[in-house]
Amino acid sequence: MSLLNRSYPLLRNNMANVRLSAPSRCLMNTVNRLYTKEADSAEKTVFPLAHSKYESKQYKLPKWKESLGEFVIGTFRMDMDKIRAGPIAGSYYYSICKEQGLQYENEPLSESAKFFYEQLNLPRTFSEWFQITLLHEWMLFVRMRAMPFKYGRNYQQKLVDKTFTDIELRLFEEMNVKSGSIVDRYLKDFNTQMKGAIFAYDEGFFSDDATLATAVWRNLFGGRKNIDISDLEAVVKYIRSQLYVMSRMSDREFALGKFKFVPANESVKRLSAEEEKILKEQVIKKYENLEKSGVLLPSEKSNLSYTN
Amino acid sequence: MSSPVREGAKQMVRLLERMPDERIKHLVSFKQTQMDRFKRVAGLPTSSGESDTGTASVKKPTVNEIKDILNRTNGPLGMKKDMLEKLQAAIPRDQFTDESLRGQVQSMENLLSNKYKNYYDVGDKLYHPAGNPGYYQRIMNELSGQKRESFFTAMRTVFFGK
Repeated sequence: MSLLNRSYPLLRNNMANVRLSAPSRCLMNTVNRLYTKEADSAEKTVFPLAHSKYESKQYKLPKWKESLGEFVIGTFRMDMDKIRAGPIAGSYYYSICKEQGLQYENEPLSESAKFFYEQLNLPRTFSEWFQITLLHEWMLFVRMRAMPFKYGRNYQQKLVDKTFTDIELRLFEEMNVKSGSIVDRYLKDFNTQMKGAIFAYDEGFFSDDATLATAVWRNLFGGRKNIDISDLEAVVKYIRSQLYVMSRMSDREFALGKFKFVPANESVKRLSAEEEKILKEQVIKKYENLEKSGVLLPSEKSNLSYTN
Repeated sequence: MSSPVREGAKQMVRLLERMPDERIKHLVSFKQTQMDRFKRVAGLPTSSGESDTGTASVKKPTVNEIKDILNRTNGPLGMKKDMLEKLQAAIPRDQFTDESLRGQVQSMENLLSNKYKNYYDVGDKLYHPAGNPGYYQRIMNELSGQKRESFFTAMRTVFFGK
């Protein structure tokens, strides 16, 4: 228990969130049962976030600790852009990727999951969930590559690290795999899938829609023969629109975690040149004022550009 | 099979022929599998040489025949009833109507005309990303065989990441 707490505080946090909707889920093993018990005593319906108190939403860092932290960051001029990769890419961005295709048996699907499993008729399986998560992660990768190399790379690394720790735990806890060696085999397999998918999506993204559709068909649809071409078109449109939104964001906004995926049932309208200019000015003004005002704490500072 | 459906399928085959070929060989090819699929609907000869319509001497069992066999026999291969039902549910069923096919043709046209790449143009910001401007070009060069990675460039990527 304590070991789990230490190694997977963030993950736990995510999983607790998932369970919020249905406390009656029967996937619970011993660890989870312990978990529930504590939750019941704390609050009736809401699971505590992680057992690490620092993860809890109610938790407030004591003032002296906060000041000490800010002092250390300020004095040693620590690179917050680098440090922020953990909480933003590893935690926040991973959470928005994984929740897109998250589904449990006997439970109603979320809005985003409906798009994938009902509209596109994808099978409701663990590996399909992984493919959906992967697709979203790849989209983020594309944007991260446009950040300064040092930071973008770090963001990518954190996102991948988190993915595999999460999958490992899910295989043990949710899929009830008992053997560590089987889990390892799955992880290797997922790793290969990831490399292949990212390569294929990159190729499609850079060349044309037809190639991207082929990559989607091979990965997301698992090379199924009887596929509706309009489904492929829908996914290609979905991907391109998300990337468009990301491309209109500055590095600073993206690195601070201001991005979230546009729901599949909404469509993105392209900005006119004028609107784009206004948007850009607003962002620049906002961050300029913040920098000038001097209210930014050392931990909130960033060197990433807000003008691009 | 009604003739509008057949016409639609023929149109689809023509569109699929315009699909770019895959740059590397994969286990399954989208172009090929879909061509076969729609040719069968259109009644054109497929690459495997069978045609749905003609009285051609097709020796392979069709999907319907397999279904029939599964239905008639009581648990072939020693499989249980529910397993058989699952298998049947997994057998692909193409039910084309004139309308659905027209929608698919339209989608295929959109894909081939690069509609979304052009509409949602992300510009050089993402195509030549600041952190790694040559990233995509290198992949394309490698794929097209124009400029292969040398041992030196590969090692550079390993150590410096780009």
